[in-house]
Amino acid sequence: MTDIHATAGAPPVDAADDASRRMPMPSARTLLVTAVILGWLGLWWAAVVHLDVSKDFLPTPYEVAHRILVLAYEPLGAGTLWTHAAASLVRLLSGFAAAVAVGMPLGLLMALIRPVNHMVTPLFELFRYIPPIAWAPFAIFWFGAGNNAQAYVIFTAAFPPILINTFRGVELVDKRLIDAARTLGARAHTIIAEVALPGALPYVMTGLRIGLAGGWMALIAAEIVAGTGSRDGLGYLILQGQQSLAADLTIGAMVLIGIIGTLIDIVLQRVEARTQSWRH
Amino acid sequence: MMRAAADCGHAAVDLQPPGDCGARAVAGFRVALGSRSIVMTNDLEYENVVMEFRGRGATVRALDTFNFHVAESEFVVVVGPSGCGKSTLLHMTAGLMHPTAGRVMLGGSIITDPGPDKAIVFQNFSLFPWKSVRSNIDFGLRINGMPPAERNELIDRYIKLIGLDGFENHYPRQLSGGMQQRVAIARSFVMRPRVLLMDEPFAALDAQNRQLMQEELVRIWSAQRPTVMFITHSVEEAVFLADRIVVISRRPGRVKKVLDVTAVAGASHWRMDPFEDVIRRPDFQELRAEIWGLVKSEIQLRS
Amino acid sequence: MGRQQLQRTFYGLVSIGGIIALWVYLTGSGRVTPIILPPPADVLEGAIDIYRGYLSVPWYEHFRASLVVMLTGYFSAIAVGVPIGVAIAWWRPLEVVLSPLLAVLRPIPPPAWIPLAILWFGIGLAGKAFIVFVAAVVPCIMNSYLAIKETPQELLVSARTLGASQRTLLFEVALPSGLPAIMTGLRIALGTSWATIVAAELVVSLAGFGFLIMNGYRNLESQIVMVGMIAVAVIGFLMNWAFLLIERRLVPWRETDD
Ligand SMILES: Nc1ncnc2c1ncn2[C@@H]1O[C@H](COP(=O)(O)OP(=O)(O)OP(=O)(O)O)[C@@H](O)[C@H]1O
Ligand SMILES: [Mg+2]
Repeated sequence: MTDIHATAGAPPVDAADDASRRMPMPSARTLLVTAVILGWLGLWWAAVVHLDVSKDFLPTPYEVAHRILVLAYEPLGAGTLWTHAAASLVRLLSGFAAAVAVGMPLGLLMALIRPVNHMVTPLFELFRYIPPIAWAPFAIFWFGAGNNAQAYVIFTAAFPPILINTFRGVELVDKRLIDAARTLGARAHTIIAEVALPGALPYVMTGLRIGLAGGWMALIAAEIVAGTGSRDGLGYLILQGQQSLAADLTIGAMVLIGIIGTLIDIVLQRVEARTQSWRH
Repeated sequence: MMRAAADCGHAAVDLQPPGDCGARAVAGFRVALGSRSIVMTNDLEYENVVMEFRGRGATVRALDTFNFHVAESEFVVVVGPSGCGKSTLLHMTAGLMHPTAGRVMLGGSIITDPGPDKAIVFQNFSLFPWKSVRSNIDFGLRINGMPPAERNELIDRYIKLIGLDGFENHYPRQLSGGMQQRVAIARSFVMRPRVLLMDEPFAALDAQNRQLMQEELVRIWSAQRPTVMFITHSVEEAVFLADRIVVISRRPGRVKKVLDVTAVAGASHWRMDPFEDVIRRPDFQELRAEIWGLVKSEIQLRS
Repeated sequence: MGRQQLQRTFYGLVSIGGIIALWVYLTGSGRVTPIILPPPADVLEGAIDIYRGYLSVPWYEHFRASLVVMLTGYFSAIAVGVPIGVAIAWWRPLEVVLSPLLAVLRPIPPPAWIPLAILWFGIGLAGKAFIVFVAAVVPCIMNSYLAIKETPQELLVSARTLGASQRTLLFEVALPSGLPAIMTGLRIALGTSWATIVAAELVVSLAGFGFLIMNGYRNLESQIVMVGMIAVAVIGFLMNWAFLLIERRLVPWRETDD
């Protein structure tokens, strides 16, 4: 088969990862779920109070919530919680945009021109085992500490799934459709724009979603690893919490990261579902 | 018990002997299971069976006051339009579902649970992909506690019976569709079920394989003669195999007509003859046309 | 096929060779400073430095620090995560109680746990193993859960009609049927664990490959950074490869050998 299929043994960046984010909640039972979550929060609270845990070690849910609320209007470091969230999102989006700008065209070319595939695949295999965060030092050497370095780390995380899924999506477009278009007199660019890309869209969307999730994870890592130059961002908040021994801040920031990550994923799942609707 | 099984090791392959050793082996095995097997009839009784599925808001009535009786060792084929409740009927007979109203009885007692006395064979074989041919056939025997020596005897017999010797240690995916379905059938028959339930078992096979499998099923079945409920969309298959054919009306399913094939098929029943000969008989064609007419009218009613 | 294989090898050599040639050319005569891109010779020297005990840490300490800690966390995650995933898939009440908790914890990226883990367990083995545990346990749970949930209905039905008890259904039908998917989860978890331990070492460490990368960076010795990255990639590759070998052993029915 094709090159990338032949290397299916490499760590699965796409399909399986995708499966792992689909765990359905017992839906239509919102009340029950809420009750269970409240139960867990209660357990956390009770444990802290009963065992007399230090606030610096594990704060109560109330203290965490309070900390988040205060942060919403009282600046810390570069600004309030909104500033930090916005800083993280801007970095995420710039790295992600670069990954899309490089990954999608390259994936398309790999699927359409065999030698490109043969040449890119070995390089891709060479680099794919390097965890994104391990790029941080070179990112700083190349781009200087700051947003660009962090965007590069995000790029290395988001790029592989986007590339693979675009490649696979275009490659799996029924060749007969392309032949059919050709017999109807379509030119290359028409075939790409009206047959190959629309056909590949569901895969591409999945790649984008996984890429963004990976980028989000890499971003937090990049912000936590000292020296990448953040004075803002949600990861920076976590780090601040640790350095100032304020566990409520650390946990609060983690909660925010979880919430934002979930929201991003929900939006993308909606979009993804829409692009796949014609399949069913 | 052990000795009975060991004795027949040599008789093996030949299917016809009246005192079928496998039968004795498994009869004892069933006693060991604690069921009152010795004096049991294996007839099926459907009494005013109603089956409803409650979906969001709407309730679908799949079967409506279905009444029917299947005699012991009878081969009944069920035909009817898609969605008329055939599979539902089979699932209830297997004890996998319970009717909303009415009763389904096997040998006079209401069917409550699935169990090895009610075997079911599906269209897509549903073999365990991680088990070899041998272990697939072994599964039911083993989990019901039959001693290994007896199991091995039986499995060997059945593997020969379905003509898969040499393939014992293959995994299902290494076999063709027809071979897989043979294994599924052997897995059912080896349990000596009282009823055999088959839901379009040959629908996934090509025409040649289908024909071979029909003949093979007849061969295996006539050695054991469990009561059979067989679902198909192929009218020819129905006419060839059945003692009686039940035509079910479109949803909600009821008995539309029951046709007695034995009256036409002769004393030894034409299913014992080669399919391609039988299919040329005018009386076969006549019956086929009649049933097709009945089914077609149900499908057309729908639109 | 033979022709295509040849083509593939040719283009592969061209691209890998091209990259190496470019590397040699760029670093050759001071076109690019060694910090931006260390020349091959420097990288070799860096490797020797590390072997001789870079920053007076013996070379094997890096393996010990990274691998032992990672494997501790990883195997704990398997031991905890797989049973939990299987249990919540099989036993509805447990699903109701645990799945909301998982839904809340799952979206938190593993690196976000690093500061908390250090706060709770310190910077030693316990803290890092905890981070790896948290990172790996999520794919272990999720994939085991889905693996069991997606047991083909007809296999369960067939087994029931053959007389299987609940216990038999779980251990002899659902688990083997889900094994390939569970293994996939464990392999994802392995990759995640490895990336996470490196991240944790970048934040704080006294040895390990993340330690090399971080200190190479601090001392502006990019050749050390590069050796660290290469080591991380090679070990990651080898672990994945070893895992696949084991997986092939455990899931032989997946293969088509005809
Ligand atoms: N578990 C279920 N939940 C809800 N509705 C069901 C369920 N099983 C079957 N039905 C409905 O009951 C009706 C009968 O289904 P059944 O599968 O028995 O039909 P069938 O005669 O076997 O059809 P086919 O020939 O296509 O296999 C259908 O309308 C189907 O949608
Ligand atoms: Mg059906």
